[in-house]
Amino acid sequence: MPIQILQGTLDLMILRTLATMGPQHAYGIATRLHQVSEDALNLNQGTIYPALVRIEQHGWTRGSWGKTENNREAKYYTITRAGLKALMKKLNAGAGWPAWSKSCLRRNSNHGALEKELRQARQSACQ
Amino acid sequence: MVHWRRNFAKLGSLLANNRAEADLTREVASHLTLIADEFERRGMSPEEARLAARRAYGSVEQAKQAHRDERAPLWVQHILQDLRYAVRTLSRAPGFTITAVLTLALGIGACTAIFSLVNAVLIRSLPYGDPSRLVYLYTPNPRYNLPPEDFGPAYGDFYEIKRESRSFQSLTAFEQSMFNLAEQGSAQRVSAAQVDGDFFQTFQASPEIGRGITADDNQPGHETVAVISHALWQSMFGSTSDILHRSLVRDGRGYQIVGVMPPAFEYPHSTDLPEGVPQYKTTEVWLPLALDAHQMADRDNPSSDAVARLRPGVSIAQAQTELSTIMTRLDKLHDPQTQGWGALLENFVDSTVGHVRSLLWLLLGAVALVLLIACGNAANLLLARAAGRMRELGVRAALGAGRGRIVRQLLTETLLIGILAGGAGIAFAFLFLRFLPLLDPGNIPRLREASLDMRVLLFTLALSLLTSLLTGVLPALDVSRADLVDFLAAGGNHGVAGTHGRAQSALIVIQTALVIVLLSSAGLLIRSYINVESVDAGFSQSTLSTSVQLDPRYSRPQQRAEFYRSFYSRLSAIPGVTAVGGINALPLSNSETMKLFEVEGYPNQKDQLVEGRWVTPGYFSAMSIPLIAGRPFTNGDTSYTDRLAIVNQSFANKYFANRNPVGSRVNVDDHHVQWSTVIGVVGDVRHTSLEESPAPQIYLPVAETDGGYVVVRTSRPPNVVGAEIRSTLHAIDPNLATADIQTMGQLESAASARRRFQTSLLTVFAAIALSLALVGLYGLIAYSVGRRTREVGIRMALGAKRFDVMLLMLKRAALLQALGLISGLVASWFAAHTIQAFLFGVGGHDPITILSVCVLLAICGLLAALIPARRAASIDPMQVLRTE
Repeated sequence: MPIQILQGTLDLMILRTLATMGPQHAYGIATRLHQVSEDALNLNQGTIYPALVRIEQHGWTRGSWGKTENNREAKYYTITRAGLKALMKKLNAGAGWPAWSKSCLRRNSNHGALEKELRQARQSACQ
Repeated sequence: MVHWRRNFAKLGSLLANNRAEADLTREVASHLTLIADEFERRGMSPEEARLAARRAYGSVEQAKQAHRDERAPLWVQHILQDLRYAVRTLSRAPGFTITAVLTLALGIGACTAIFSLVNAVLIRSLPYGDPSRLVYLYTPNPRYNLPPEDFGPAYGDFYEIKRESRSFQSLTAFEQSMFNLAEQGSAQRVSAAQVDGDFFQTFQASPEIGRGITADDNQPGHETVAVISHALWQSMFGSTSDILHRSLVRDGRGYQIVGVMPPAFEYPHSTDLPEGVPQYKTTEVWLPLALDAHQMADRDNPSSDAVARLRPGVSIAQAQTELSTIMTRLDKLHDPQTQGWGALLENFVDSTVGHVRSLLWLLLGAVALVLLIACGNAANLLLARAAGRMRELGVRAALGAGRGRIVRQLLTETLLIGILAGGAGIAFAFLFLRFLPLLDPGNIPRLREASLDMRVLLFTLALSLLTSLLTGVLPALDVSRADLVDFLAAGGNHGVAGTHGRAQSALIVIQTALVIVLLSSAGLLIRSYINVESVDAGFSQSTLSTSVQLDPRYSRPQQRAEFYRSFYSRLSAIPGVTAVGGINALPLSNSETMKLFEVEGYPNQKDQLVEGRWVTPGYFSAMSIPLIAGRPFTNGDTSYTDRLAIVNQSFANKYFANRNPVGSRVNVDDHHVQWSTVIGVVGDVRHTSLEESPAPQIYLPVAETDGGYVVVRTSRPPNVVGAEIRSTLHAIDPNLATADIQTMGQLESAASARRRFQTSLLTVFAAIALSLALVGLYGLIAYSVGRRTREVGIRMALGAKRFDVMLLMLKRAALLQALGLISGLVASWFAAHTIQAFLFGVGGHDPITILSVCVLLAICGLLAALIPARRAASIDPMQVLRTE
């Protein structure tokens, strides 16, 4: 069942994923989105590509080639400082989103824990 | 928020497009592998896993395209796509492309070339600070019935004005003169200006080396300094760096060089001053004017040149008011016999280029018409081609291309053609500028500075875009209006002819009309030129002329007389020389002397002026000016005590009607005391211009013409005799130089150079326009013959004769031509008054010109149409019907 997602929402979800999980490849991001939306966001995995290039061009992520545990090559996206800043800004402004995206964003309803997560992610982004 | 960063990245990705594509392909492949790995882990076979991964991923192409759309700006992608497509379609039809590009390139090239002239002469600022605040200052006197520009202020008035006026930031007075400049044993004539201390300051021009001429230099005794032009520094001193330690020897006197002006500053040019001496193209040396107290108070010689710079915020009208008040007072200080001196300010820029403005606008108008005709042609080509492309466009429309997209695609094609044509046009203009010096009539200021600078190139770019739009819009709309899908359903080639046909015909009619306008203008100019060429100037063409100026070493009259006696007699001794004479001012040399005069027994008016020239006894014979009555001057006549005069035919007709001029008396004495006897009447000579009928003229006898001209009649080749004249002078005095030795024919040719310039340019443009229009007509008829092959086949099968078929085809051509002719004649009737000012001896509605233009166009048009019409007539009906 097709869901109309706002461009910005998808961008935000990807950023959030990268912020909490650290560097991910497109497959990893797509799988994660699928999970957190509790199957509501059952998209073809190819559909996240425009969002990936968009946020990379904004300078919110940086892409680099690396190896998976199974020694497959994959392009990993890492969130940047600018990306974290944008994420924070949007989280604070984010109201009136669909229920499933809220569940994605507020899985950790404990705000302090999210802050901590973000701090860790920021450190890893700086390395 | 940070959109600039994203837009920048988008544009950047265009440059690195190949890398981004490769990266994307690699990422998609890796993504698919990772999904497949996961499915395999869940127990699928590798093959199943691969397919399942594909399903989970969705359409790879779609994802890639979405990525591309997001990655790069969409409009740029579309433009690139259109461009790629346009390049492909155009290179598939090279014949069409080359024809269209060349057609437009001719129009754009002509426009660019003429615009580069307009740019150099009219638009580019003069190198004199803010030239719009410069004014020429005159003190005209209506008493003498002469152009106001003939009266520069007398120094007495000028310095009073300088003291009293508050309107000017600075004022300068100067005079043009010619000098002998000693150069390594021989002498060279240079054109110079003697300027006061404010000259360079008024023009806001500073030397590139050293200093200008100051007020101190103008103190008597300090005047032996000189500023030279960049050109003279190069030619005479080889751009030496120690130029400030060198000096010039002028007329036996040394002048310390104190400055070199930059290349752009060569004021005054021969074209700058209304009474400029034509021998100076540019000024090479500036010397102090160095007037003494007596000269500074002089009010008898209103002949200096004066330029002033208005104070900021002062308008020319305000300055004029102030100046008139001052002159009203100063006029009372003049001799009561001559009073009536006024003041006149003229805008400097207008005086400099005003006289060529209308000519340049005329030429620009002509090339604009040429460009319009070229646009019409290209549009017609596009229309014809669009008709052949209906199928392709129909397919595109059927596949979902919107009307806008198709129009944009077609416009991209014309834009590409326009840009290519612009490039080729610049090449044409470049060639034109290379040939321009050959056409240079010598009296259009700064013509030779025409170049393809930034402004011209921008103009060409804008012109190319405009041309593309003009050319492309009609065909594009026309095509997109047709219902392409219906056209496809109908299955092909027939049917859509009607709409294009009308548009194409209208274009041909308009083109023909424009060509008529250009042709008749060119025809009128050609007739004027022929009229000017057939004018009898009144003197022999083969007579050689030169000028010699003695320097201060020849201060005593006996020395001068001695020099000229010896010069004339040695010249007469040159083999083949039959007569030698001298005159103070040659015909067509742009200088004249007006004298107050009275005629005995004639109702004289007050302050009557006549042009007077001083000639030696040999002059009339050397110039082959016929003696009509009486006798010429002889060697005995040259003393002033005898008081003899010769008048020309016009003078005799006007002042001695029904009387015998010979033996009558005229008074040309400055003090109105002594009467002179007329001893002869000579033929009229065109003195001021070839296009002005001769005015009454008095010749007075003189033994020598210092600073004037020497004329030599010879039967031998002019260059041989010219060299002998030079060596003769050198033998008498190596420190004297002759100015350009030229035949009177050359002088006459220089006098009609402007006319030749405008006539040849306009004729070339008209010829280009005519050939473009003929190609257009040919193309249209050929196209319609091609489309009507089937119809012709059927007609012939039903019994039509070949001749009937040919007539059928010609009928359309003839109809279009006739419509074009009529509207063209109407248009040129109105255009005639624009060109009236450029005509000589022919009316704007000259029937002969109009008739010959019509005949020319009709014949050429029929010929252009006849070729395809004959092809139609030679169609074999059997073959046509069989192929259907």
